[in-house]
Formats: sequence, C-alpha cells, structure tokens
Amino acid sequence: MSGPVLAALLAQWTPLAASALILVFLRSRPAAAAATAIAGITVSLAATGLLVAQVAVPGLSVLAEAEWLPVHGGPGLAFGVLLDPLSALMAFVVAFITLAVMVYSVGYMRGDPGFPRYYGFLALFAWAMLGLVLASNLLQLLVFWELVGLASFLLIGFWFERPAPAAAARKAFLMTRVGDVGFLLGVLLLIRALGIATIPELIEAATTRLEPGLVQVVAVLLLMGVIGKSAQGPLFTWLPDAMEGPTPVSALLHSATMVAAGVFLVARLHGFFAAAPAVMQGLLWLALVTALASATMAMVAGDIKRVLAYSSISQLSYMLMALAAGSVAAGFFHLTTHAGFKALLFLSAGIFIHHAHSNDMREISEHEPLKLTAGVVGLVAGASALAGVVPTAGYFSKEAVLTALGGTGGRVALALAMLGAALTAYYSGRMVFLTLGGRSPSRQVAKSLGEETHRHEHRPSYGDRMMAAPVLVLSALTLVLGYLGPFFAARLSPEAEHEELFHFGAQAVTALALVTAGLALSWWEFRRALAPRVGFAERVPALRSFFGENWYLDRLYDATVVRWTVALSRAAKWNDHTVLDGASDGVARGTVWGGRILAMVQNGYVQAYLAAVVSVVAALGIWLVRTGPRP
Amino acid sequence: MTALAAYLGFSVLLFGIGLYGLLQRRSLIAMLIALELMLAAVAVNVVVLTTYAGRDPGAGQVMALVLVGVAAAETALGLSLFVAIHRAQATIDVETVSELKG
Amino acid sequence: MNWAGAVFGASAAVALIGALGAVGLKNIFHNILSFALAMLGVAGVFLSLGSDFLAVVFALVYVGAVAIAMVYAVMLSDPLDEPRRPRSRSKVLGAAAFAAVGALAIWLVVYRAHWLSPGGPRRVSAAEIGVRFLQDYVLAFELISVLLLVAMIGAVTIARRVRPPGGRG
Repeated sequence: MSGPVLAALLAQWTPLAASALILVFLRSRPAAAAATAIAGITVSLAATGLLVAQVAVPGLSVLAEAEWLPVHGGPGLAFGVLLDPLSALMAFVVAFITLAVMVYSVGYMRGDPGFPRYYGFLALFAWAMLGLVLASNLLQLLVFWELVGLASFLLIGFWFERPAPAAAARKAFLMTRVGDVGFLLGVLLLIRALGIATIPELIEAATTRLEPGLVQVVAVLLLMGVIGKSAQGPLFTWLPDAMEGPTPVSALLHSATMVAAGVFLVARLHGFFAAAPAVMQGLLWLALVTALASATMAMVAGDIKRVLAYSSISQLSYMLMALAAGSVAAGFFHLTTHAGFKALLFLSAGIFIHHAHSNDMREISEHEPLKLTAGVVGLVAGASALAGVVPTAGYFSKEAVLTALGGTGGRVALALAMLGAALTAYYSGRMVFLTLGGRSPSRQVAKSLGEETHRHEHRPSYGDRMMAAPVLVLSALTLVLGYLGPFFAARLSPEAEHEELFHFGAQAVTALALVTAGLALSWWEFRRALAPRVGFAERVPALRSFFGENWYLDRLYDATVVRWTVALSRAAKWNDHTVLDGASDGVARGTVWGGRILAMVQNGYVQAYLAAVVSVVAALGIWLVRTGPRP
Repeated sequence: MTALAAYLGFSVLLFGIGLYGLLQRRSLIAMLIALELMLAAVAVNVVVLTTYAGRDPGAGQVMALVLVGVAAAETALGLSLFVAIHRAQATIDVETVSELKG
Repeated sequence: MNWAGAVFGASAAVALIGALGAVGLKNIFHNILSFALAMLGVAGVFLSLGSDFLAVVFALVYVGAVAIAMVYAVMLSDPLDEPRRPRSRSKVLGAAAFAAVGALAIWLVVYRAHWLSPGGPRRVSAAEIGVRFLQDYVLAFELISVLLLVAMIGAVTIARRVRPPGGRG
C-alpha cells in the first residue's frame, strides 16, 4: 500500500476510532472526550495535508480498491479510495474546518451535559464526510452520503429533549431522504448497466458505453440527491430549521461541509454530467432561482442564524451554477472560500449568541456586542467576504463564478446572478449593522440605566479564548485565501490551459458596483444616525410574510405531501389492525372453534368410543375381505 | 344351509346381541353380562371352526376352556371394581362415571 | 334322526332367547337369570358339537359361579331403589345399528374365508382334553392357573374397605 493511500485511510478511519472510543468509554469524561476527538481530527488533518502535498498534482489520480463482498457471477462490492486533487483538497478543507469547530466547541459547549456525546457525534461526522470524499465507487459514496445524513440528524437534534430540535432533525432527515431516493435509483440504474464501477470508469462509460437517454435519466436522479442534500429548489426548507442545532454544528455541517457534499458530488462526477448538457442547463436555472429566492428570505429574517442559513443556500446555488456552466475550478474554489468564511460567520455569531443568550439580531445588539472583539472581527471579515468586498477571498471566488457563468451560461443568467450578488451584499450589511447596534442615543441611555443585573465586566475567560482563536484564524484566512485561485485552477481543470479565473474587465467592474450599491443601501437603512432600522422588504407586510415563511413552501408541503402521507399511514394502520390482525385472530379463533368441535368426540362416553372402535374394525374387515383372495 | 353356516350364524348372532347390550346398557354390570355373551360366542366360534373347518377339534376345545378361564377371571375382577366404584361414587352408571373426557 | 341338529336347534333357540332377555329386560336380576339361561343354551350347543366336557364346564362356571357373583355384586352396588331412567330412543337405535354393522362385518369375514375341508362333529373326551392340556398346551394351562390366582387376589384387594392406618375400623 502506497503512502498516499495509507494517509487517506488514516485520515478517514482515525475519527471513527475516536468516535467509538468516546461514545463507548468516555461518556462521563468531557475533557477526555474533547481531547480524544481533537487528537483524532488533528491526525486526519496531518494526513490530509500529506495527501495534498503528494496528490494535488495536476492530472494525477490514484485509485486503490479492495473487494470485500464477492458476488457470484460478477464484480463484487468493493471498498477503496480515489485520490486526486479534488478529493485531496476537499478532504483537507473538511479536516481543517472540523478541527476549528472542535476547538471552538470547547468554549461554546462548555457545561452542557451532553458534551462528550457531542464530540462523539462530531468525530462520527468527520469519518462519514471523509469517507464520502475519498470514496472510490458510487455505491460506497452513497453509503457515506447516508451516514453523513445520520450524523446531521444526531447533531441537529442534539438537544432532543426540546421539541423544536427533535422536529427539525426529523424534517432534515426526511427531506434529504426524499432526494436520496432519487440518488439511490440512479445508482441502481448504473449498477444494472455497469456493475459496481469505480468513478473514473463510470465517467468514461458515460460517453462510450451508456446510451444518452440512460445518462440523462441517471443524471436527473443523482441530482435529486444533490438537491436534497444541498438544500436547493423544492427541498431547501429543512436547512433554516436545522439551525436548532448548536451553532458550531451549523458552522460545520450546514455551511461548510455536509451541504457542500452535493456540490462535491457534481464536481466529482463532472465528466458524467457533462454528457447530459440539457440536465446541466436545468440545474443552472434551478440554482439561479434558488439563489435569488433564498437571498430574499435572508433579507427579512431576524434570527442571525437563519440569515446565515439562507445565505448558505444561496451560495451553494452559486457553486452549482458554476459547475453547471462547466467550471469545476470556479465551483470548487467558491466552495473552499465559502467553507472558510461561512464557518467564520457562524462561529462569530456563536460568540454573540453565547453572550446574549439569544439568536435575534436586535436583541444581540442590546447586549454590548462591540465588546466582543473576536466576534466583531470575525463578523465583519466574514460578511465582507460574503458580500464580495475587494481583497477578501469571497470576492475572488465570486468573480470566478460569475466569469464561468458569463462564458457559457448566457447573458440572462449572468444578469440575474449579479442581481443576486447585490442582494447578498445588502443582507450581509443588514446583518452586520443590525447585530452590532445602531447609533440611537436613546438606547444607550436605556442601557446604562437598566442593566445593573448585567454580569461582570466582560473579561475573557478560558471558554471565550477557545472560541476566539479559531475565529481569528479563519478571519486571517479570508484575506489570504483569495489569492489561491490559480492554484485551484491549475489542479482542477488542467485541460482548460490555465483558465483565467479572474480578470479585470467590464464584468468585474459591474459586479463590484452592484455590491457597493447593496452595501450602501444597507447602510442607509440600518447604520447611519436616525436610521429606521427596518429594511425595505420588511416594510411591506405581504413581502415580509412571503419571504419570511420560506415562500410558503412549508405550508404547501403540509397541505399536500404531509397530509397525504399521514392519510396513507392511517390507512395502513387500519389495514394492519383490522385486516391483518383480524385475519390472524380469525385463524386463531377458527382453530379454537374447530378444536372445541373436535373435543366433542372426546366426551368421556365409553360406549361412544366402543361404537367407534366397532365401526372402524368392521370397515377394516370388510375392506380386507373385498380386496383379499376370493374363496 | 350347511352345518357350518348354521353354527357360524348362531355365533355371529349371539355376538351381535352381546355387542348391542354392551353399547346400549347403562349399568356397568349389565355391560359385563353383555360382554360375557360376546365371549361365549367367541368360544362357540372357535370350537365350531376347529370341528367343521379344521382338523383338530381338541385344540379348539382347549382354546375354549382357556377362554372360559379368562372370562371368569375377568368377571371376578370387574365385579370387584364395580363394587369399589360404587363405594366411591355411589353409582355404577357408565354415563356418570366417565372421566376420560376431552 | 339328526340328533345333533335337533339338539343344536333347540339349544340355539334357548341361547338366543336368553341373550335377548339378558340385554333387553329392565330388571337387573332378570338380566342375570336370562343370562344364566343363555349359557345353558350355549352348553347345549357345545353338546351338539360333541364336546360334553366343555358343555359341563360352561354350565358350572357361568351359571354356577359367574351369575351368582353377579348377583352378589348387584346386591353390593346396584342402586335398585333409584328411579329408573327411561331408555333414550336414539341410543337404542344407535347401538342396534352399530351392533348390526359389527356383526355383519364379522359374518362377511368369516364366511368368505377359505376354510379347510370340513370335517364333522367328533366326540372329544375329557381325557383327551386333559392330555392335550398337559402335553401340547401345558404353558397355557399354567398361565391360566396363574391368571386365576392373580384375579382372585386382585379382586379381593380392590374390593376391600380401606381401613384407617393403625387400629381396627
């Protein structure tokens, strides 16, 4: 086994060992649990770093598989790793963000009774996500895809004693399940056509051995899984509700890694999807609509985590648009920068939430937010990256996406994407200004008068330091990461001959102008002195409720799918009770009845027994006489 | 009809009458009487067959004598059983003392 | 004149009439007396077959011992003063039917059997029977003796009154 393969296996399976250790032995030892998890993920980080160093070479691909379940008359089920620049880089990103979140959680989750369980689940998630990234065939990927969904369920519903997180976890699981049905069907169709093929074989077969019709159908089915997991189109409403989970979980799963698994899948199978251009076109438009819709919802949300959730949906759409337009490098670049700054935003928000014990931005602003330095730095840096302000990483990656769209997506799509960028800037600014407080003097007076019960002077504690450190590291990264664009381009799209991810042209200027306009509008509405602090969308009640309630999609689903499913399950229950149980009860009753009737023969009536004996012997005798020799 | 047929017919009739009594009477002693009739019919049958349809009448008579011995023993035991049953249940009605029920 | 046939006919008639009385009469004493008559009839049949020893044994054992024992048993057990229960008509018919079926089956089997060449009645003397018992059938003889002994002991044991342990009742 070669070095990179060993590193990959180590990266993937160490977190599982850590998770098992924690969940079995360390349930009552929080410090040991956190230490084990962090140690495990550090090993993974080192291993993935090694992978990046060795494998992230343009055009390199290492495949190692071992058959673990032989199947009669065909290729068996295989398990292995596929190492190329895409998987190496993604694995590194996953490990890095997971480590940051784990360190942060030492402070954030301090004192929670489920602290060890939390780390156990985080390590479990790391294993599943790395397994997904490094999988060598589609079936294995599907297995880890589902495991990631499981980890998400466990972590969203972490505080399961409360009804809201439990319901949110259920909703997330069921909705992604709907998409996963399509995914599974696609995988089954592929297995039927090709057997258990490795991913490179699969991509090659798309253009050679498989008929175009099948490729299109499979592409659509696989995309159903993507839509579910990455919260696009009709299956997005689970993600805002998933914010019921702890904030670090939101940072890790629902912005940086798990929801990005869908994007990763499209990037991974890019060659396959390229053989179904009509499907890609459909994906482009679906993502575009989703991007704009979720941006509108972010504009009216009052809960800071919900703003970030809608923002994640929107940015995922951008990544998918880039991929649909043909550029793996742009899409993946944006995925990486988004992982960085979105995690940063969530972690910073977590600092504020932890301090103010509330998610609502306006309430946070009343608890002296400006004193939380790390939080402020993180929030501002992250929001700038999100909006696409110049030197941040977000700017470069968003530019790359827009460039890719401009190339093959069409002018209408590009225009709408730019509109989305403006909206993104607007709601990012709104979020920052609402959270960090306005300048209205009356409020300041009220604050100083009314808060004797406010806690001590804010001295940074150990927990606060653990939360601050990752935030600051990520903030620094958002400045630097942008310049890695060409690095990504070289490794992920070698055939495009140093595709220019960014160049300063008319398009770039337009985009920058729109971003500035959005920020200006938000400043006007929220930050300046005597600002009304109410957004233009929030003033119109119809828009406010429409945007605020997920464009009424949840209501639609409740009235249709949920109601039908409940009716169906009621019918099934009736069938089970009345028909099936009735049938088996009826058999039992009939048996007892038959037994009672037969028991009448055993009446204890000796003369009846004798009569029976006589008849049988007589019959036997007559029969023997008839069939025996004639006299 | 031949002598054999007459004798055999007699023994079958006697057996049938005894069988009727066994199936119909309620008192245990009455059933025993009927049973004795059946045994007597069997003895007649054996002797008839060895005499008219076989070669060794002596053997038939020996068999019949053994049968008589058995019948006597059985009667003795049966009657003492009936006495004991009557002592326990104050009746020897076969429909009452039946306990071999399902 | 065919003495054997005449004796047989008369004895058979007596035996059958006695048998019918033994199963049909209502008073248990009448049953027993009828039974005794039937056994005398059977003894007559044996006479007509040439087995006088057997006939005498039948009369002695059945009439002299069995019937008397039955009378004793009736005295000791049969509740003669109980109200007579009416015979159920279905039971009578059923018993008759089954008995007829049984008898018919036996007749069919026996009559259709392939018997050896018929002989005729031959007087078998008591001496001959005795010799047969002590030569060819000595085992049966011994077994019968043991059986009778066991039956006697058993009968006494079963019918004993159970005395309370220790002391006389």
